Amino acid sequence: MEKTESSVLVIGGGVAGIQASLDLADKGVIVHLVEKTPSIGGRMAQLDKTFPTNDCSICILAPKMADCFGHPNINVWTMSEVVGLEGSRGNFKAKVLKKARYVDENKCTGCGECLEKCPTKELPNTWEQKLTTRRAIYMQFMQAVPRVAVIDPENCRFLLEGKCGVCKKVCKREAIDYEQKDVEMEFNVAAVVVATGFDVWDPTPSTEYGYGKYPNVFTAMEYERIINAAGPTHGHIQRRSDGNEPATMAYIQCVGSRNLKTGHPYCCSVCCMHSTKESMLAREHIEGIKSTIFYKDMRACSKGFNEYVERNKRDYGVEYINSDATVQGQKENGNPIVSFDIAGKSQQREFDMVVLATTLVPAKGNVELAKTLGIELDEFQFFKALDHTLEPISSSRPGVYLAGYCAGPMDIPESVAMGSAAAAKAMEALVQRKVFA
Amino acid sequence: MTKIEKIIEDAGAFDCVECGKCTSLCPVAKINPNFAPRLIVVKAQAGMESEVKADKDIWSCVTCEICNDMCPYEVDFSGFIQRMRGEAVDMGNSPVCSEAGAVHTMQRLTGKGQKQNRLLWLTDDLKVKDNGDVFFFTGCAYQLGVLFKDKAEELKRVPASVVKILNAAGIEPVVSNNEVCCGHDLIWSGNEAVFEELMRKNVETIKATGAKTVVFSCAEGYRTFSIDYQDFLGDLDFEVKHISEYLLDLIKEGKLEFKDSNAKVTYHDSCRLGRHMGVYEQPREILKAMKVELVEMPSIKDKAICCGVNAFASCSEVSRKMQLDRLLEAKGTGTSAMLTFCPKCLIHYNCLLTMEKKPLELDKVEINVRDFSNFIAENLKGGK
Repeated sequence: MEKTESSVLVIGGGVAGIQASLDLADKGVIVHLVEKTPSIGGRMAQLDKTFPTNDCSICILAPKMADCFGHPNINVWTMSEVVGLEGSRGNFKAKVLKKARYVDENKCTGCGECLEKCPTKELPNTWEQKLTTRRAIYMQFMQAVPRVAVIDPENCRFLLEGKCGVCKKVCKREAIDYEQKDVEMEFNVAAVVVATGFDVWDPTPSTEYGYGKYPNVFTAMEYERIINAAGPTHGHIQRRSDGNEPATMAYIQCVGSRNLKTGHPYCCSVCCMHSTKESMLAREHIEGIKSTIFYKDMRACSKGFNEYVERNKRDYGVEYINSDATVQGQKENGNPIVSFDIAGKSQQREFDMVVLATTLVPAKGNVELAKTLGIELDEFQFFKALDHTLEPISSSRPGVYLAGYCAGPMDIPESVAMGSAAAAKAMEALVQRKVFA
Repeated sequence: MTKIEKIIEDAGAFDCVECGKCTSLCPVAKINPNFAPRLIVVKAQAGMESEVKADKDIWSCVTCEICNDMCPYEVDFSGFIQRMRGEAVDMGNSPVCSEAGAVHTMQRLTGKGQKQNRLLWLTDDLKVKDNGDVFFFTGCAYQLGVLFKDKAEELKRVPASVVKILNAAGIEPVVSNNEVCCGHDLIWSGNEAVFEELMRKNVETIKATGAKTVVFSCAEGYRTFSIDYQDFLGDLDFEVKHISEYLLDLIKEGKLEFKDSNAKVTYHDSCRLGRHMGVYEQPREILKAMKVELVEMPSIKDKAICCGVNAFASCSEVSRKMQLDRLLEAKGTGTSAMLTFCPKCLIHYNCLLTMEKKPLELDKVEINVRDFSNFIAENLKGGK
């Protein structure tokens, strides 16, 4: 019988991919963890707190990120993407393209000297939802793993014009390497775990919410960064129009989800809970703030979720209104006007700030990745399970397994569980020879 | 399945998740506290159809379709209202029609084979044919111009303007004295039977001329042929086009030229042309081609404010408030004219503007609500 490879490829370094990697590595399996961005951590690293326990998200994730990166059995490949997968379960050959970082990962200590000296400033910081800026050499976020700077080749003066070189001059470790090239690598693996997560939907085209038109309308992801102590406002809730602290806030649910028109008819499965969390946190940041959540249906089904909502009403005074809402104007003071329906009466109320619970959507790269991996997508363009009910972890290709939001809407604990499940499935591919030989 | 259940099913109202987004967006609900689209659908779903049918609010809806357009579950609320109105009329819940129902009477009569002289506007300088590829459906603009001569007399010129424009592009359209009312107001006021008679007559008339394309200036006629006729008859044997689409093609082919203009206008998306039919860009592109400066109002395209009346069956204080809001937006643009393709919008806005006791806010507002086709014709090169 053909020899089975003894390593596993994990695509995506979010919490699901990290969990799958750790589970496998702890069992002695060599893991190649491929992450597209400069750091592992994924979406969970961007969130302020987790529900329903209000744990600090990065505080509970960071140790896992460090464990993962430092694990002797895990090779973390950041800035990398899978570009080919040949072979079959037990004997895959994966092609991975590692993009140039222009900073030597082995030399950079993350001291930050270059970040302060780079003269190309004011570039939008997409990780911070463009609420702040970064320079052409930057650290993806404060707790990035690996803690290594990265040069943005589209804006670096040296890479574009051959002039500047400030970062190279200031780096005491000689870590800057303008000559770095993209590298293609090949790994022989027995199984693949796909854990590529989701994109956040941009609500600008749905003009009924006034996002982009009225400055004090925010997306939930923006708000997560705003209330985060390490975020652009150091955790102070501030309006975009005047920097003032809000006294009233509205949260509008299902923005873009459960909506056939936007192409996302599914429930994103997390916004009832994250808006509950966010309104609770607002009260912890600002004494006496009055929050209102506008919802289609309250979906607080998991353990402790309904109690969490009830606690929010009772202890934090958050008002829940069973109506979808839209933003149809703003007052001269910049207060968005929210329109909604209570028992068949149309109501208009102004709020200091509005947070849109924008839906989470299949990542744009899914179509391409599905082609590369030879796996199927479902009708929403999430990766399709072999059987929705009894094979939720397996993709349509034997030996390729799914974990986390890339397989469909789920919250963090479910993504972690699926990461572990995918690791267990990948183990099967590894041990089959031993069992059946 | 009962007839009501069929109406609910056809409108997709069973898919309603009662989220209330419709009410949050509804322009009527904002002014009339008793009206809420969500409540109407919820009642219908719950089998309280007799209550829905008996409720006067079935006539409060302005059928602007902002709810249809925004409903996350694609419930066809206006379609539901349209057919429920038929049921309402059957049980004696009739609308209070404007002008003592004169418009509806005129429309019904054309369906009864009443002799008509529909081409009074046709002067010798206009070139038209009896048979040919392009049929121009004139609609009731001329008649409405006569009936509302105190506020919308320019409508009398619309058919001639359209022919003049087409002639300038080298096209001789077919016009017919056998054309009858398209039935728009009748189907929206619950008179399905007469609507059907009118529809069949019109389709017959057009077919007899051998036309392949039917062109409309009127937004309502365009919607009625495109949606309602095809609901009843399936695909039609001819293509239905709005003049703005049709002219834009001709402009692109270089067949139409315009005078140098320093006009500054704003454009009103009527519900029928905009939300019902999705025609937003063509009128704007025509203005661009005419080198006319367009100053947009705050609420445009799918968020345009409706003129507040539909099928002459729902004129009320609510309508006047909506008209006022729109006219104030138009005033804010600082332009001299608000153009629209819908003759009804033109009548309803001018109705408020010419009122004896018009709202104080409209004092010194010097904005003309103008017909778009007339405006194009006036600006043709070589034209008057």
